[in-house]
Amino acid sequence: MEHPGTFWGVIAWMIVWGVAGSVAIRRRYLQHDLDTSNTTFVGAMLGAATGPVGLVPLWLKTPELTNRLIVLPAIGAVVLVAAAFAFADPDSNCVANGSFVASQITNGIIIGIIYGFMALGLTLIFSILGVVSFSHGEFYMVGGMLTYYVTVVWLPGINPLLGIACACAVVFVLGALFERMFLTPMYQGRIDRPVEYGILITFGLAFTLQYFVQAIVGSNPVKTRRYFDFPRVRLPSPEDPWLVKTSRGNLELFDTISISNPRLTAAVACVAVLGALLYFLHRTWTGKALRAVSQDREAAAIAGIDPSRMNMLAFALGAMIAALAGALLVQAFSWLPQVGNIPAMRSFVIVVLGGLGSLPGAFVGGILVGLVEAAGTGCIPDPQKAASYIPAYGMVVLTLTLLLRPTGLFGRRYASGAHGKF
Amino acid sequence: MRRRVPHLLGLALLAFFLAFPFVYSANDYPYVMHIMITSFFYAILASSWSMLAGYAGQFSFGHIGFMGVGAYTAALFSHYFWLSPVPTELCTEYRFGETWLVVVNPIGVTSTTLTQDCLRQAMEMWGDAVQPTRMPVWIGILLGTLMGGVFGFLIGVLVLRLRAAYLALFTLGFAEILKATISAEIEITRGQAGMELPALFESGVTLFGHTFDKTDKLPPYFVMFGLLLVCLAILAWLAGSKFGLFVRALREDQDAAAALGVNTTRYKVLVFVVTTMMAASAGAVQAHYVGIVTPNNLFLLQMSLVVAMAVIGGVESFIAAAIGAVLIEVALEMLRNSFVIGGVEIDMTIWRLVFFGIVLMLTLRFARNGLIAPLIGYFTRGHVARETVEHRLHPRAEEAAAK
Repeated sequence: MEHPGTFWGVIAWMIVWGVAGSVAIRRRYLQHDLDTSNTTFVGAMLGAATGPVGLVPLWLKTPELTNRLIVLPAIGAVVLVAAAFAFADPDSNCVANGSFVASQITNGIIIGIIYGFMALGLTLIFSILGVVSFSHGEFYMVGGMLTYYVTVVWLPGINPLLGIACACAVVFVLGALFERMFLTPMYQGRIDRPVEYGILITFGLAFTLQYFVQAIVGSNPVKTRRYFDFPRVRLPSPEDPWLVKTSRGNLELFDTISISNPRLTAAVACVAVLGALLYFLHRTWTGKALRAVSQDREAAAIAGIDPSRMNMLAFALGAMIAALAGALLVQAFSWLPQVGNIPAMRSFVIVVLGGLGSLPGAFVGGILVGLVEAAGTGCIPDPQKAASYIPAYGMVVLTLTLLLRPTGLFGRRYASGAHGKF
Repeated sequence: MRRRVPHLLGLALLAFFLAFPFVYSANDYPYVMHIMITSFFYAILASSWSMLAGYAGQFSFGHIGFMGVGAYTAALFSHYFWLSPVPTELCTEYRFGETWLVVVNPIGVTSTTLTQDCLRQAMEMWGDAVQPTRMPVWIGILLGTLMGGVFGFLIGVLVLRLRAAYLALFTLGFAEILKATISAEIEITRGQAGMELPALFESGVTLFGHTFDKTDKLPPYFVMFGLLLVCLAILAWLAGSKFGLFVRALREDQDAAAALGVNTTRYKVLVFVVTTMMAASAGAVQAHYVGIVTPNNLFLLQMSLVVAMAVIGGVESFIAAAIGAVLIEVALEMLRNSFVIGGVEIDMTIWRLVFFGIVLMLTLRFARNGLIAPLIGYFTRGHVARETVEHRLHPRAEEAAAK
């Protein structure tokens, strides 16, 4: 970085005014007896983006915090950070090299879709059971591992779709069994603090599963072949394929953006399954029953839905979604028994960012986290350092979310059950 | 009589641990002693975590991170601060009377680079004429403890508004960020290569006319055991005082506690500071004992072990958590031997952890108060029900007796 002083100076300035804004604006709104639910966020973002220029009018006039007033300062703050970085380090790869930027953004969105898909399972479980499942990463790992074993070791040459389906089915049953055996006492009021019990018991399952797989498989990384080869396409013409150029394992758009085959197929599959899931949740009786239970357990029970069975279904479905994400990604990454830890953390981040229990929030959050990670890995000058910091990017997002807007992007303010309080 | 059983057993246990290093004399003495020291280390972590999670209801998954704060503070301190009788004239240095405090410049991993830090360069010039000395180990441990408290205070303030699941996620995030930072800042922390520390008693120690050199296990055994006893004493004092009552009120219902006049903010932060300082001191002592710290010490596995030990012992009793930690650490080591069944070799180094995970889940499911806490409760509180019944049946009898 050429002028680190400039960059860190701007960041420090933003932090100072952000903290001042979040505290002062909240105080002011409290004094005036106004709604304070968004004041911390707006005060921090407006302070960070504009400093005293924006804070003073807000403090004086205390307008109603509309959506526009919530979103614009946040965008302004992000733009300011980007601008500060661009001024401080004009020769950096992620400022000067346009095609690199485009490529990073595209890949960030694509991987973000997969992250979001995985987080969807977590948020589904949370919205219905009120449990933050710490075993989500292990279901992801088991899904990938089973797919590898079915398609490569036990039945080589089998259609990978069958392997994926098999992995999903096994994890679905595993999830259902676990829910029946260990989570049922939670709903019957036999446990003093159900949220903590849920965390600990899923933590125990994660521990057991991880070492069980390690004991059986060992700790050599495994990987499947890619499931599907791209057809050879050259557009607009074979001589000058500036629009689209594909090889079997890669897709190149506009001569600049390169997307690898496994990631693209995984993302497309995720979008397709998401569509199916949305159809299931909104158009079928069972899906509607699931959503009803997530909104109000008692009312759903009165309407003839068995909430206990819906719990089982939701947990199994959530676990299966994680397994599917794993099964789709085992062609892209090397697979180890510990592979689930980082995706699990990332799912937590996404779910909190999107709002615990919100399905669209999980998807938007996933894409945002994908972009943040792409920016982080692309912009930190030392590549080794950038790679080491990968788990931290998401955690910074998590910290900011929890401090500024604990309900997340789309969080319901009053979710059902004890977990609605934060 | 029955009420005294736990006290007697506790005294017997204390006597056993005090006498153990002198009585035991098999060939594997250093190995067994090492396991005992490690089990005390885990006992400190598990009992302080049980105060945080079991008493105060703050399910923090960052406890191992605070341990890392203590360990790395001690490591950085002993790595970068030296005392020298003559100035190096290369480093940043401050004069205190006849000695100079030398601050070594960070240069990262030395094995791959030819450049050496300023102190090593100076030492090469001096030859054997001048020997710089390290700072005393106990200052590093003290600093580590304080730094753990500072971090605990910051995290405690940050998580004030968060409950249950959010708190668990946030503290897990803290531990992850810490680990990523330590792995990434190679110039300062040497990343995955880890940092070496001097032993607890680098120049040996003489006790009762017997000199122990720095690899002997007996002095660190008593240091760690002493630290455990100090922590347990502080925890017992806290649990029995107003503090213990208030944090338990916090756990049961924060709003109700606040309405009844408990300063919830203060006690929440306080319980964080106290427990994280214990974790950090344990981390610092353990780092000096083992002689090296790496970011892998902060893995989730370690946190899982601490949580599991506390839960299996009994999360709502710190004594039970400590005993659970010692028992489980010893049991895990005893299960290390692989064996062969029907031609298939069972690798117990992994399978024991699977077994352990299943025990953890079953304990949670069927014995929510752990396995050891109910035993203590049976002896200490077993009479309570009978007395209550008696009191209800004959309410006047006691008053008459009192007169």
